[in-house]
Amino acid sequence: MIRHIFQLVWNKKRSNALLFLEIFFAFAILFLVLTWVTRNLRLFSTPLGFETENTWIVHLDFYDAEDTLAASETKVRLREELLAMPQIEAASYGGDVSPFSGSTWSTNNDNNGFMIRTHLIFADEHYKDAAKLKLVQGRWFDETDRDARYKPAVISKKLFDESFEGRNLQDSVYTINGENKIVGVVDHYKYHGDFSPEYNVTFFYKPSSAIDMPNLHLLLAPGTPAAFEEDVNRIVADVTGMSDFTIEHLQKSRDLDARSVWVPMVSMLSICGFLVLNVALGLFGVLWYNISKRRAEVGLRRTLGASRAEVSLQFVGEIMIVSLLALLLGVVFAVQLPLMGVLEGEIEAYDYYVAMGVGAAFIIGLVLLCTLYPSQEAGRLQPAIVLHEE
Amino acid sequence: MIQLENITKVYQTKVIETTALDNISLEVPEGEFLSIMGPSGCGKSTLLNIMGMIDEPTTGQVTVAGKLVGNYHSKATARFRNEQLGFIFQSFHLINELSVIDNVELPLIYRKVSGKQRRQMAEAALTQVGLSNRMKHFPSQLSGGQKQRVAIARAIVGQPRIILADEPTGNLDSAMGNEIMDILMRLNQEQGTTIVMVTHDETMARKTHRLVRLFDGQQVS
Repeated sequence: MIRHIFQLVWNKKRSNALLFLEIFFAFAILFLVLTWVTRNLRLFSTPLGFETENTWIVHLDFYDAEDTLAASETKVRLREELLAMPQIEAASYGGDVSPFSGSTWSTNNDNNGFMIRTHLIFADEHYKDAAKLKLVQGRWFDETDRDARYKPAVISKKLFDESFEGRNLQDSVYTINGENKIVGVVDHYKYHGDFSPEYNVTFFYKPSSAIDMPNLHLLLAPGTPAAFEEDVNRIVADVTGMSDFTIEHLQKSRDLDARSVWVPMVSMLSICGFLVLNVALGLFGVLWYNISKRRAEVGLRRTLGASRAEVSLQFVGEIMIVSLLALLLGVVFAVQLPLMGVLEGEIEAYDYYVAMGVGAAFIIGLVLLCTLYPSQEAGRLQPAIVLHEE
Repeated sequence: MIQLENITKVYQTKVIETTALDNISLEVPEGEFLSIMGPSGCGKSTLLNIMGMIDEPTTGQVTVAGKLVGNYHSKATARFRNEQLGFIFQSFHLINELSVIDNVELPLIYRKVSGKQRRQMAEAALTQVGLSNRMKHFPSQLSGGQKQRVAIARAIVGQPRIILADEPTGNLDSAMGNEIMDILMRLNQEQGTTIVMVTHDETMARKTHRLVRLFDGQQVS
């Protein structure tokens, strides 16, 4: 029976070509969109690694300060005054590269005999508490690091796994951006957002007083009202004498950043949904048309001994064979992307294979859904009636 | 071989009720070549369809090859039809997308005969109707007479005990019609196949063992 259906499909290759192309292109588009969606969902599923709820960043600018010593003292005093307020649980100064800012500073080298690729971030000894970072090894910076012989560094677990797995971190000196001693490893730090790939990150230490640490991270007590911003604003203005600083609510920045991915993702999925609906209607229409054109054939087959189920199965089988062949061609093309490492780093082979599987399963499900009813109807045709029509 | 007892067939719509067959009782013994004649719309094809178990009588009983026909839509009836009956139609009903030999193999597919055996049986049937040289051709490449011979090959490929032919010469000229009739008569004489043929052609009907005439759904002779 299967050979017979293959033969019919092959002999009607011209009329099946359009359906074949429709399925092929539907799969191709679905595959591309699903790859992107899978990638985004995979990235979204890994933790951000730092706190954004109840976290504000005060963006200050001390670069133009003529008296840098006074500016340093101002910075320290500002932090102390803010910390004196019960609503503020932790405060920390960071470098220019702050979360969701889009800024990046990265470096790579093989000076150690193995390749290190990493993004660089400056933080003070309080950042672990202000950002609620999770350490998986070692420690965060402390006061002793100010006078350390080698610059202390804290790296992300991803960098550790990639470049330092099996190497001795304890008391070893590595060249990252100058000679460093790695003192700790943090679990995650996706500072480009929820949908960003997790880059290798190295934190370098700088004290709170450094004037090139302009961003003041504040961790607020849960339930602190938005109106508290006025108090912060007043204290910052009073202590620094500045008026051109901004206060960023990190959760809002995070949401905004996420929205820039969610919106196009939902839009693309909606377009895909529309496409799939069209394919479904097309399939349904093609099958109805086929059956109405082949009523006499159905009558003949039933007369020659085909059961209702066999007639239904034949129509489902024909469409399914065309669909599977189209999917096979689609998969042959699709599998080239992971094999050739297209967009490696941004998209993993896992994303391609999941999208391939889900896309193919979805198309097969759709084809089955669209063919089942018309095929059943074909099986119900009365041979005496349809043969008489002819 | 075929027994019809008090067969009535009524087609009913919301508006009108049409009696296609009115209390027909008929027996076709094994090996008989029976023809059924009558004007258009008298119920000939309906009677043939009921004999072929592809239509259900409103009332009455049908016995084919010793089996009382019960559920007309069951898988078992489909199998029984496949094994016991061969069908020939006025308009041939060949599948244009299949080659001649694939068309002939069709009943054997539903009998789950292996591919190799199917091919052998189909070749033998086509040889029997003189079309062994046209096996790879498609129906569109054949004349009307050749198409009907393919249809006969398809009807006999499963070696059925009964052949039901609905105006097999109706679409053919007289020479081709005679050719088809000769094949049917040969089948009946040499293999003992029971044949019931609906025809409009008196000359063809006279070549058969017995002629039954219908008029307005009733048997008149």
